[in-house]
Amino acid sequence: MDWTHARWLLKRMDWSMVIAVVLLLGIGVAFVYSASYRGDDLPVPSFYRRQMVWALLGVAVFILFVLVDYRRLRAAAGWLYGMSLVLLVLVLLVGKKVYGAYRWLSVFGVQVQPSEFAKLALIVMLARFLGRPGRDLRHPLTTLRALVLLALPFALIVKEPDLGTAVVMVPMTVLMLFVAGTPLRHLALLGLVGVLLLPVGWLGMDEYQKERVRVFMNPGRDPLGAGWNKIQSEIAVGSGKLWGKGYLEGKQNVLGFLPRTVAPTDFVYSVIAEEKGFVGSAVLLLLYAVVLAAGIRASVEARDRAGRLMAMGVTGLLFSQVFVNIAMTIGLLPITGLPLPLISYGGSSMLTTLAGLGLTQGVYARRYSL
Amino acid sequence: MAIRDLLDEAQWRARVALWIMLAAFGVLLVALWQMQVARGATYQAGLERQSVRRVRLPGIRGRLFDRAGRCVADNRSGYTISLYLEDLRRPGRWSNTIVHVEAVLDDLARRLERPRQVTTEEIRNHIRFRLPLPMPVWRDVDETALARLAEQGLGMSAVEISAEAVREYPFGAAACHVLGYCGRADPPTEEQAFHFYIPELVGRAGMEKRYDEALRGRAGGQLLLVDVSGFRFKDLGTQRPTTGRDLLLSLDMQAQQLLDRVLADHVGAGVIVDPATGDVLAMTSSPGFDPNRFTPVLPVDEWRRISGDERRPLMNRAISATYSPGSTFKPVVALAALASGRAGVHTSFSCPGYYNLGRARFACWYPSGHGTVDLRTAIEKSCNVYFFQLALQCGLDPIREAAAALGLGRATGIELEAEYAGLVPSDAWKRRTFNDAWRDGDTCNLAIGQGFLAVTPLQMALLTAALANGGTLHAPRLVLGSRAPGEESFERLPPSAAVPVNLPPSAIRFVRGAMRDVVMSPGGTGRLAQIPNVVAAGKTGTAEYGKKGEGLKLGWMIAFAPYDAPRYAVALVLEEADTGGRTTAPVMKEILRGLFEQVPPARG
Repeated sequence: MDWTHARWLLKRMDWSMVIAVVLLLGIGVAFVYSASYRGDDLPVPSFYRRQMVWALLGVAVFILFVLVDYRRLRAAAGWLYGMSLVLLVLVLLVGKKVYGAYRWLSVFGVQVQPSEFAKLALIVMLARFLGRPGRDLRHPLTTLRALVLLALPFALIVKEPDLGTAVVMVPMTVLMLFVAGTPLRHLALLGLVGVLLLPVGWLGMDEYQKERVRVFMNPGRDPLGAGWNKIQSEIAVGSGKLWGKGYLEGKQNVLGFLPRTVAPTDFVYSVIAEEKGFVGSAVLLLLYAVVLAAGIRASVEARDRAGRLMAMGVTGLLFSQVFVNIAMTIGLLPITGLPLPLISYGGSSMLTTLAGLGLTQGVYARRYSL
Repeated sequence: MAIRDLLDEAQWRARVALWIMLAAFGVLLVALWQMQVARGATYQAGLERQSVRRVRLPGIRGRLFDRAGRCVADNRSGYTISLYLEDLRRPGRWSNTIVHVEAVLDDLARRLERPRQVTTEEIRNHIRFRLPLPMPVWRDVDETALARLAEQGLGMSAVEISAEAVREYPFGAAACHVLGYCGRADPPTEEQAFHFYIPELVGRAGMEKRYDEALRGRAGGQLLLVDVSGFRFKDLGTQRPTTGRDLLLSLDMQAQQLLDRVLADHVGAGVIVDPATGDVLAMTSSPGFDPNRFTPVLPVDEWRRISGDERRPLMNRAISATYSPGSTFKPVVALAALASGRAGVHTSFSCPGYYNLGRARFACWYPSGHGTVDLRTAIEKSCNVYFFQLALQCGLDPIREAAAALGLGRATGIELEAEYAGLVPSDAWKRRTFNDAWRDGDTCNLAIGQGFLAVTPLQMALLTAALANGGTLHAPRLVLGSRAPGEESFERLPPSAAVPVNLPPSAIRFVRGAMRDVVMSPGGTGRLAQIPNVVAAGKTGTAEYGKKGEGLKLGWMIAFAPYDAPRYAVALVLEEADTGGRTTAPVMKEILRGLFEQVPPARG
């Protein structure tokens, strides 16, 4: 690829998304700092510096995924998908146990989360499968095969266990099926089966996961244990009121009521909501809406079905993660260990998200092109 | 199928996808609005509830001093060891936790080398009603025990040590009924409860109670921001507590200790006042109690012992007991007779040892009879028969008037609780109470200070003082002044009210002289109270009390000295005495000797 072509591609990106993403990254670093702030006289842990590094690396990955032709990824989909499955098996065998779950793999001293990689691989794989010219989407077998593609990484990730990550892959897949053109009655049937399978899912859940659901139904059940994060997060969000308490003024994380282990990661949104209030919370939603709209536009304007489905898959995944994370923060959904994309502290999520978004812009930049 | 159709199809579906996403965000926005704007204040309150602590800092109690500036009620710090029972919580039923707490207590008891102070029942109650608050398990532990505990390492976060003010009375039980005692105040019932409430001392009796408002400092408060572990994060604001005023009392602790010591083996009361001012120099009621035991908390068994004691150690006999004055009332009758003109100093009656009134026979204490005696001799020898006749000749009303002029029959207004007004009976009173007219027999009883007449030792001391100073009745005074915290000198209060006694000075002079003979003359009933080098005057008295036939007698003596320029007026009454002259006069002698030989004149 020559430099002229690269510049041409970058110029054709959807800059509304780029600006929104950069703002979100900046907000992320600022609030990872705030979430680990413990008062004037104590040093702030260096999470925010590492987050800055991840953000810069992420931007590089973003550009890389814009420049690499998504059609080459499509060609390699089988390899990527297979590799992700291998990594998921590996993590179960030699993974590092953190908080009772095998989610991390140590590669040359860097902790990576294969489940993050698997999400992208699944998107590419499904896009290739559903987007292949001549694929008959009206045939029930097509839908079933797509579901098998989902089921393999899903089962492995549930096994880790990382229910949150596994669960967001479901709406993502359904959305891709929907946009690909699967008949609505297939999807309706799928929904029905899903509801009928819920009790089976309940029985298959670990005790701690069941407890989280029970606590979600009744937070007073164990206010000092499993219900603690939910209650404290809601207090943080609610007490932010309209305008918030101001940057670094959030009491819930400074005083440690919002546990320090989750404030910069899964519960960073409650720090933002406390310090910036409803206005700040809404601005954040608006920025995500801009990114999502740009992702949908990329999907709509894609030159081929694979590109359209990739863009839609990434957008659906981003949406699911943002929605589940915020809904959990404000008590609308049970607690799951799911980061807020682009904001929460953590490298794997950051790089995967930006890779995915780069992918959508790669699709968008190549619209109507030769 | 044309590619075009597919595209159209896809675009329609993509737009639906976008709308679904935006609708979901809409749901989030509505939920956020609900939480942050509509119900934000509720969550704010929740945040404050868990992170803001109101701490009450108790006011520091003012101190009490005697007239020479000796501190008689002081504060010191006692240490309280408390346990946070929540931190000791064991899984399962609360009884598991109680067992664990008891194990911890036993271990602490071993390390402190101090017996356990709380019972299982108290632990259960604390868990039930006051779980978030620390439970005090050892009160008033001294530094040695703390050091012992620290040496071996506390080893647990559930233990807290806090300082608590303890009231200390350096003179022990001396003047306990005057000083009173303190207890822990009830928790304040303010709108916002305090999270940490350090109990304050409140006066429960005596001066401590009467002047509680002045002595008590104003409590301060502190708002603390605490972190999730309950540690202090930031001081949001502090209002320092203030110290109460110090009081300067009229008591002279040397005289007081003397009086206490002399009365220690008796049941009775004694009061020493300064005849020139009405200052109460000493006031003792025996038996007494040690007010030091009351703070921080009086042990239950000790409370049972004190409140169950038939001799009622908490009662201040000097002002609350109802006593017949016996023959110490005779000077009043003499004054009444002289003042009313119904008799003169030379009026004589004959005493065969008894007096017949109708069919009733009233006996003299001296069965052989005093023969013919005049007023002076009658007082000196305390002849009952003389006073029967004198009183009958004088009549009830002049006696009542003289008694009232000398302060009997009404409360003296001393700054103490539960003062008894005493009783000077009248015809109307007797009709009201017994539906019966006043009879001569009643007058005869009154003449020798028996029957319905009732006085307090304090009234008798002030009466004695009025005779001593030649006719001025002072209101008693316990407080000379007070000072604000930090000030060096006391603000003096004006002298106590003094009214001239409405009796002829010549009559008073005469009675004073007769009272000198009571003590100084070889035949005087109070001669056993004589001390070397000081001329004293006084009057003894014996009065029956209790049920008839029990033979219980009060031994009275009132005295003042020196005769020419009196410095002390003393009233003394002992229960279960033989007679005033035989039982009480020797005690009075000890007091007078002590006052003149050991107590330097302290004018306060």
